[in-house]
Amino acid sequence: MHQHLIELIRFSTYAELRAERERSYLGLIWWVAEPAMMMGAFWLVFDLILKTGGPDYVPFLLVGLTLWQWMKSCITHGGYSIWGNLGLIRQVRIPVLVFPLVQIFADTIKFLYIFALLLVILWLAGFPPNITYLALPVVFVVTLLFSAGGGFLMSAVIPLIPDLRFVIEQILTMVMFLSGVVFALDAVPPPLRDWFALNPVVTLLDATRGILMHGQWPDWIALLKVTLVSLVVLVIGIGVVLRLAPRYPKLAA
Amino acid sequence: MDQPLIELEHVGVAFSAQRRVGSGKFWALEDVSLSLRQGERLGIIGRNGAGKSTLLRVIAGILAPDRGHMRRGTLSCQLLSLSVGFTPYLSGRDNAILSGLMIGLRQRDIIARLPAIKAFSELGDFFEQPIATYSSGMLMRLGFSVAIQAEPDVLLIDEVLSVGDVEFQEKSGSALRERMRQGHTVVLVSHDETQVATLCDRLLWVEHGRSVCEGNRDEVFAAYHRGLAVSTAAS
Repeated sequence: MHQHLIELIRFSTYAELRAERERSYLGLIWWVAEPAMMMGAFWLVFDLILKTGGPDYVPFLLVGLTLWQWMKSCITHGGYSIWGNLGLIRQVRIPVLVFPLVQIFADTIKFLYIFALLLVILWLAGFPPNITYLALPVVFVVTLLFSAGGGFLMSAVIPLIPDLRFVIEQILTMVMFLSGVVFALDAVPPPLRDWFALNPVVTLLDATRGILMHGQWPDWIALLKVTLVSLVVLVIGIGVVLRLAPRYPKLAA
Repeated sequence: MDQPLIELEHVGVAFSAQRRVGSGKFWALEDVSLSLRQGERLGIIGRNGAGKSTLLRVIAGILAPDRGHMRRGTLSCQLLSLSVGFTPYLSGRDNAILSGLMIGLRQRDIIARLPAIKAFSELGDFFEQPIATYSSGMLMRLGFSVAIQAEPDVLLIDEVLSVGDVEFQEKSGSALRERMRQGHTVVLVSHDETQVATLCDRLLWVEHGRSVCEGNRDEVFAAYHRGLAVSTAAS
């Protein structure tokens, strides 16, 4: 039974990535071109026009957007997955957790490819590999836990309240701006900054940028807090999916 | 030994009437009881909207009963459904594997059967092409060829006895009848009385979400026809 599920998840993930490649003319190139275009837009506005970018703005933005794109995809794609597969859920008996899991795995594999490219760019731009790279896997595991938690939670609720889809994109855009993805939070006035620091995304971005750009070890205490928060979100997310699972086959598509 | 594989006791299933806050419930199944033994071929008959398909999905384990009891051992029940999980941009081959996994087959078993699936679906070289390029007939042939590979302990069939053009209808129908004759335990839902009569040995008559009577084929048919005559006369 378990082996069968592993095969199902593995092949579905492959199918998801494969289908995405076949869906457009340029295929895999879009994995890179899409974030690159987004980065271009922010660079134009914040660095070139507003001149608020600061030193090393391009690598700062690159790292931030790459990581954020991964988190956001896990949350939205994972979030839509059960809703998008209601037709299937009405036909066959498959544990519903499979659907968000497949999306999260597919987005993580995509991220790893983009990240490899990001590393090459950073090395060429004068940010060489350093010893703190050893901490990257830890930061990424925590990021994955956090995003998966968000994805599971969304995936559980969206089938019941599909209207949430319209809200979630806006909320995620807001979170992106509040998390220092596109501009450094140093610009935020001090009393507000403490509140900003409570945001787990800020901790994860700071840790990744510190490692890649400054050879800095992460703030382990802050990372531990984020891990705990992520685990709580993950457990709640999975719990809600399992709790609501009997209701999904009864929903109209 | 003669323990029932599946037993339903006064099972009911409710749906919410609409996707609105505080909408009422609608009981698609009110009170159904049945028992299914190894090797039996049970037909479910009843008029449109009687709850036959819902009942089949309860037996398949897709829907959980909202009231009543269901007993069943650790066995696999599979609803025979075509084109499960098909993805337009993948090849016929990849879709066959994906669909096979979703209907409960192990990956190595599907891969071993790919040549048979390819041959049965008569797709030829199209088997390696994305199914987005298929005609609807080709899609149905592939869908059926994969679906018929399922090997559950209990096979559940909802009115899909033949698909495609006349020639393939013949072929798919006979493949399915062959599967049913191999001594599998089968539950069949159909409108077609002759089909039920030739394929099933026991019948369950369902009316307005309730099981009216269950038993030997001829007895239930007789009761069913009397019931129809009475209700026609009354209206």
